[in-house]
Amino acid sequence: MTFDGSLIIDSLPRLMDGLWITLRLYVLALTCGTTLAIALVLMRISSKKYLSWPVMGYIYFFRGTPILVQLFIIYYGLPQLEFIRTGPLWTFFREPFFCAWFALTLNVAAYTAEIFRGGILGVNSGLVEASKALGMTYTQTFRKVTAPIAFKLSLPAYSNEMISVLKATALASTVTIFDVTGVARKIVAETFAPYEIFLSAAIIYLVLAWVIQNGVRHLERRISRYAN
Amino acid sequence: MPSKPPIISLKSVHKYFGTYHALRNINLDVEEGQKIVVCGPSGSGKSTMIRCVNGLEQHDEGDITVNGHMMTTDEKTGNLIRQEVGMVFQSFNLFPHMKVIENLMMAQRMVRKKTKAEARDTGMKLLERVGISAQADKFPGQLSGGQQQRVAIARALCMNPKVMLFDEPTSALDPEMISEVLEVMTELAREGMTMICVTHEMGFARSVADRIVFMDEGEIVEAGEPETFFANPEHNRTRKFLDQIISH
Amino acid sequence: MQEIINWSDEFLAGAMVIIQLFFVSLLMVIVWGLLGATAKLSNSRIARGIANGFTVLCRGIPEFLLLLIVYFGSAVTLTNIARSWDPEIRFMDIPPFWAGAFAISLVIGAYATETFRGAFLGIDKGLVEAAKALGLTRFQVFWRLRLPMMWRLALPGFGNHLLSLLKDTALVSVIGVQGILFTAQQATTVNHKPFTMYLTVAFIFLALSTVIVVTMKCIEKYAYRHLEAAR
Repeated sequence: MTFDGSLIIDSLPRLMDGLWITLRLYVLALTCGTTLAIALVLMRISSKKYLSWPVMGYIYFFRGTPILVQLFIIYYGLPQLEFIRTGPLWTFFREPFFCAWFALTLNVAAYTAEIFRGGILGVNSGLVEASKALGMTYTQTFRKVTAPIAFKLSLPAYSNEMISVLKATALASTVTIFDVTGVARKIVAETFAPYEIFLSAAIIYLVLAWVIQNGVRHLERRISRYAN
Repeated sequence: MPSKPPIISLKSVHKYFGTYHALRNINLDVEEGQKIVVCGPSGSGKSTMIRCVNGLEQHDEGDITVNGHMMTTDEKTGNLIRQEVGMVFQSFNLFPHMKVIENLMMAQRMVRKKTKAEARDTGMKLLERVGISAQADKFPGQLSGGQQQRVAIARALCMNPKVMLFDEPTSALDPEMISEVLEVMTELAREGMTMICVTHEMGFARSVADRIVFMDEGEIVEAGEPETFFANPEHNRTRKFLDQIISH
Repeated sequence: MQEIINWSDEFLAGAMVIIQLFFVSLLMVIVWGLLGATAKLSNSRIARGIANGFTVLCRGIPEFLLLLIVYFGSAVTLTNIARSWDPEIRFMDIPPFWAGAFAISLVIGAYATETFRGAFLGIDKGLVEAAKALGLTRFQVFWRLRLPMMWRLALPGFGNHLLSLLKDTALVSVIGVQGILFTAQQATTVNHKPFTMYLTVAFIFLALSTVIVVTMKCIEKYAYRHLEAAR
């Protein structure tokens, strides 16, 4: 039951390798997912049902099921389908990293689209009316008035989502990826010293979360320079 | 003249909010059955004073005695006093998640330990008295402001208090609803309830008050019977205040 | 389709495990949330410090990693203790079900702490004063006013926590709790239909999520009937 400090030092280089994979997965999933979310939310708020309904179903599925299950469907499940295994997509879907990125991206997109929609609904309708009264078109109003205000309103929820995605990257270790958690699990399996290794991994995630949170807070303060 | 000691007595009461001196040397005795109207500009300490009387605010210096009990910082004493002192707030403060009748029954059951039937009985009687027994099973949010304030008065009366405190009971009301609340208060006064009312309703003050207390900057500037108070105020500050109110 | 029917009994049993796990964790979540919120709002600096530490840790560490820490950490400790009695013992653990329920409850409990705290702060001060003015004791005010007002204010946020809680129950298959994901893993090794099996798991979760959403809607309708009636 002793706490072995040298074990942590010895494991540090491997954990740093894991950190690099975690960071790559995180940044790729977050940026791609957010971009996709913008497209989704535009469809979601559209008055055309053939645009909004599929997006509603998509969001419902991804928010209603665990990421781990989604990841298993993509990584373990898709190869069951003939056209995936024999088609050109197989180059991608046989890669665990690609699958983890793919699952996380779809997830981020679903959650973020909902967050952005909340922001758009929160924009004071008086402002939209005011710009209409000035003769601006719907698109102009959306780009110049609705979108910037909605983005600012969405920021607190979006920053929570950023932390959630970071934590979700840990699930990649279940599909043989050696991210921070994956590396930690491997070392623990070798040494059977869960406290030292898992707690070191936990500290890495806490530091990352802290950096992200402060980054967003900084951004928020910059954006809030104009009136609320 | 008074054979009994005053039911409420404030002696050299001081109150600070941080460095702000909210109450300065307040002295006030209220005999049983007396009706006191407290007026003065906003921020003059009127609300703070009556909130000290039932211990919602704690005074810093001096003595406050209510119904023979000296107010201390002790939670128990505070509760003992509050059980005998009813209070009506500017913003009604009815419990929004309880029906009107439940608002009236809760404290009776929890503090007075009455049975459900007794509490409901008392509650219905008082609702009748303030003229809204038909609304007993509605939620406060469904009632008009004037009705809500009458429920709040009934709720306080359910506890059978010896004294009633009113903290600007009509200030949050639309003009057409003020009179229905004042009528209930006037009726209550006629029945002999001891009352301290913070209000700017000078018509009510003139007809009901035994004494009018004028406060400014945390102190009692002057106090007197309505006739002399309105006709011949002693202090310049009082005169100025009355001019402003009456010109409205 | 036939594969799903073949395994339907196992999936049903797995679903029962998940539902039990959900309710056991839920109870713990409410306890953590109330304790945490009370501590954060208390005057004691020590209590506030502990509660803040708890929420920062449990919200910043991936729930998956926390689960591994709780399960394997407790197993190693327990094994070491057991070995000091009987060196023959090779492995001892807390039942995975309970380790899982505990770990998940810590995560969601940390979020609930924030929600409850916000809800307590959102209570109109005037109402508390009115209750005091009626002579209610501090305990009565808490029990009859603060708590019923608090849970109403916390309801929308808490509904989201319930969905997270449900989804987190999927994680425990990793430590061997036999929930539906575990069932699917076993089925896959026999019938080699992973897509069908995991998609089934997804739809079971989706159904359970829907049940939660609908239930919360009903509860909200009941809880806010005093507002709805207003207009």
